[in-house]
Amino acid sequence: MKILNNPLVSMLLAAIVVLTFFYFMNIGIMSIQGLPLNANLTPAQ
Amino acid sequence: MLHKRLNSLQLLPKMRLQKLLNIMLVAVLFLGASSLVSNLFIGDVYADSVAQRIQSVGSILLEGEPQPEPVVVEAVETEPAPAPQGAPKLKREDYPRVGASSRSVVWIAAQMHLFFAAFVLAVPLFVLVIEWIGIKYADDRYDDMAHEFMKITMTAYSITALLGGFLAFSLFLLYPQVMEYMMRVFNLQVLVYAGLFFAESALLYIYYYSWDALRYGNKKWLHLTVGLGLNVAGTTLLVVANAWVTFMMAPSGVDATGAVVGNIWEIIKGPLWNPINLHRFIANIAFGGAIVGAYAGYKFLSAKTVEMRAHYDWMGYTANFIAILAFLPLPFAGYWLMAEIYAYSQQMGITAMGGILAWLFIVQAVLIGTILLAGNYYLWAGMSRTEGSKRYAWMIKYIAMVLVACFLVWVTPHTLILSADEIKQLGGSHHKLLGPLGIMPAKNIAVNLMLIFTFLSFQLYRRADKIATVPYANFLNALMVVIYVVAIANVIFAGVYYGYFTNTVYKVGSSVMQVATTLVVIASGIIIDTFLFKKADMIPAVWGRVSNRSQYALFALPIAFTWLMALMGYVRSSVRTHWHVYTVMKDNSPDNFVPSIGYAGNMMTIVTILFLGMVLFIFWIASLSETKQSKPLAQQELEA
Amino acid sequence: MSQEVKKHHQTETDQQALPPSSGVLTKVLGFSVGLTLVFTLVANLLPQVEGEAPVDEVIDLGALTPESFAALGEKLFMGKGTCTLCHKPPPLGRAPDIQGENMVGLAEQRLADERYQGEAETAEAYILESMIEPSIYVVKDWGVAGSDDTVSPMPKVNAAPIELTEVEMNAVIAYLQHKDGNDITVELPTETPAVEEQAPGATGGAPLPAQSAEEAIKKYGCQACHSLLGSSSPVGPTLDDVARRLDRQQIQQSILDPAAVISEGFANMMPTDFAEKMTVNELNMIVDLLAASPADSTDSDSTEADSSETTTATETSNEEVAQ
Repeated sequence: MKILNNPLVSMLLAAIVVLTFFYFMNIGIMSIQGLPLNANLTPAQ
Repeated sequence: MLHKRLNSLQLLPKMRLQKLLNIMLVAVLFLGASSLVSNLFIGDVYADSVAQRIQSVGSILLEGEPQPEPVVVEAVETEPAPAPQGAPKLKREDYPRVGASSRSVVWIAAQMHLFFAAFVLAVPLFVLVIEWIGIKYADDRYDDMAHEFMKITMTAYSITALLGGFLAFSLFLLYPQVMEYMMRVFNLQVLVYAGLFFAESALLYIYYYSWDALRYGNKKWLHLTVGLGLNVAGTTLLVVANAWVTFMMAPSGVDATGAVVGNIWEIIKGPLWNPINLHRFIANIAFGGAIVGAYAGYKFLSAKTVEMRAHYDWMGYTANFIAILAFLPLPFAGYWLMAEIYAYSQQMGITAMGGILAWLFIVQAVLIGTILLAGNYYLWAGMSRTEGSKRYAWMIKYIAMVLVACFLVWVTPHTLILSADEIKQLGGSHHKLLGPLGIMPAKNIAVNLMLIFTFLSFQLYRRADKIATVPYANFLNALMVVIYVVAIANVIFAGVYYGYFTNTVYKVGSSVMQVATTLVVIASGIIIDTFLFKKADMIPAVWGRVSNRSQYALFALPIAFTWLMALMGYVRSSVRTHWHVYTVMKDNSPDNFVPSIGYAGNMMTIVTILFLGMVLFIFWIASLSETKQSKPLAQQELEA
Repeated sequence: MSQEVKKHHQTETDQQALPPSSGVLTKVLGFSVGLTLVFTLVANLLPQVEGEAPVDEVIDLGALTPESFAALGEKLFMGKGTCTLCHKPPPLGRAPDIQGENMVGLAEQRLADERYQGEAETAEAYILESMIEPSIYVVKDWGVAGSDDTVSPMPKVNAAPIELTEVEMNAVIAYLQHKDGNDITVELPTETPAVEEQAPGATGGAPLPAQSAEEAIKKYGCQACHSLLGSSSPVGPTLDDVARRLDRQQIQQSILDPAAVISEGFANMMPTDFAEKMTVNELNMIVDLLAASPADSTDSDSTEADSSETTTATETSNEEVAQ
């Protein structure tokens, strides 16, 4: 897709994808250890 | 034409089938042997009574005859099962005295043996992979390099064996009661260990000496299978010996007095066994890679032709690649080991990292900093092999700055030994600014960032000789940049927020988050680069076009690895404090105290220098085996 | 072979010879040994702490007072019990800061907690139960991760590797009660079996123990107030001839519990925390030195310094100290 060649668009898209991934990874990794997090990543316990 | 095509078609399935069969054969043999061996030692050793074993199978009655009276036979007395015996309780006078500190003798013997054992177990592992790569890419260079690595291993193997003998003798001489107890606990398993050496030796000799005889086609797959068998035997030896050491730290299968109450499998599989297995397996590979890298570096510096220089430059790069690649997951394996130690005994864990041995981890920081800096420096220096690296040269100084800053954070201690005056000057027992840098969250941030940036150096090096041609290259590059930025931010966030502003449990748990982040960077870097450089334009890279100075990184690496291995082995061993077998057999020898760090450091230097000398001996033997004295002219003329 | 001859034999520039590399072995060896020595230097520059090996000490139980029993408990808390490995003030502690808290008050709170499943009814029993069966009641947020505060990471104090005896555990309880001014409710031991007490296995960060009596005296600043070993000071009683006035037992008490007996004419100014700062070794070396100072052949408790002995001062029974 040509639009992806636009550096701004590709950076933005990449940022969205990566931030989402890390956000859910953080929550997932803490919860499998029995340490749940709130939506703002603060400890839930 | 058809005839030729048919022939080649027939050959392919045969090769694959042959390979498959060979691999299955070895796997089955190993699984069978190991399950047989383990079954032998599971279950009751003491027999049921004789009477129960010899059952009557029936009786014959004659017609008319009265039924015989049943005869009650008294059970034959078997030997009563021996009372379970605990570990011996030793007094100071029970220990043999030989005029030197027994602990230092065994320390040197054990560490030397472990250095060489690690080497001879590791080299066949990556030699097998290199040999396989040579087949896959049909490149003779890989095969020749693998062969050359094995040549070094042969001499090392003898030295490993004689050091093992020295260690065994010194243990039986200086700690006979400890050894008596260990033999009592491990029983026949020690003979299994000894017996495995028959397999290891046979496979090693066959693997090395059949190299040229089993060079091509199906025979090459047979050769690979022999190599696989060699590695299976070697790994089994490793895990069997690991059981002794982990038993001494965290005994299992015995009761509180040390009497054996479980079977041999329960004794072997303690809580620390698998963490040590994983850690030593990976660390051996890193260590072995570093040593052959030094070999390559040495041969590079003394190369007499440009071709030799190129050959050994390439070998050095490959060895360094193996060493750093295996080194990257080591902190995680080490973390698992420490976590299991804490889970087994919080006291033991804190002794290691928060108690008397805590300073050792500052020394460890110095060593790992050296390793990472040397590895990175070698990669940066190697960028000169290709013109395409000029695009990335600007990043190097920033990577260096981050590495040095992280190293300084890692090296900062938390608890300082202060006099009353100094406490007054400091305004407390910890420095206000630097104190917080001394605890685990800061260290975790530093380590993870160092690993991320080392991977960055590595990725830049790999990219240096390529130009991407795929249509979505811009997006993939943007993705990579964003991944780095977000990962670095995530590591810092996890460390600072959970480390300093939440409670202990979340602090400890956040380190897993950081590790995962680093692993994501590494995995995504590899995957993205694979897609990005499909059908890439290659910029020529010249092997051998690298400075002499860069080779010193290849010497720094094994020295640091060796000293680090000695250091960590010392921590592992002394975390037992005054116990031979923790909680079960107390140590009352004259050496039952934790020595000062300077004394320990001096011991490590002794073993490192001894090891250096022996390794040079091995390299010399390897090149001696290639040296041919030319016939003197007088004799030539006589024969002409 | 000369360059020209070599060129005849080569078809590629790959075979081009390089100038001979001089002294590669020396340079490589020098670098390697040098780097090794850098690591050695780092290890030797760091603070040198030697772990003290466990040492048996015999204590005369008949000579113990409640205060000295509590002092023994404190010594055990820091040493053989290895309590301070985990029980430290936040944020370092991996266990509640029992030294910093009033344990008797806290114990009563915990006994009233609905989660409490044990059988203790007094603070003394609660503390003992926490030592013998730590998992019966785990303070909130201190349990093993994932066990929801039902499993304690604390080892059993009366089992290996700590192996405190019943007397020793009572001493620790006495200390925990005494330090906040609560009454000591544990019974003093009355028999005199040899109590095995082991010298502290050093916890991290402890200052270096002194190697001689003189070093110890300098370390603890005795000469700031006492005339001793050539220095003079009017603040406290002179110690140059203290063996004339006090026996070993009394000298030791004066160091560990200075407020028990104040010499006439002097103020109650002596630091009271030597018992926690000094190692057993250091204490013994100092007492040996002071007890060996020139003494009369007459008996040692006849001077004015002793005239205000309180009932808690001990008899002049000899305390055996075996190392």
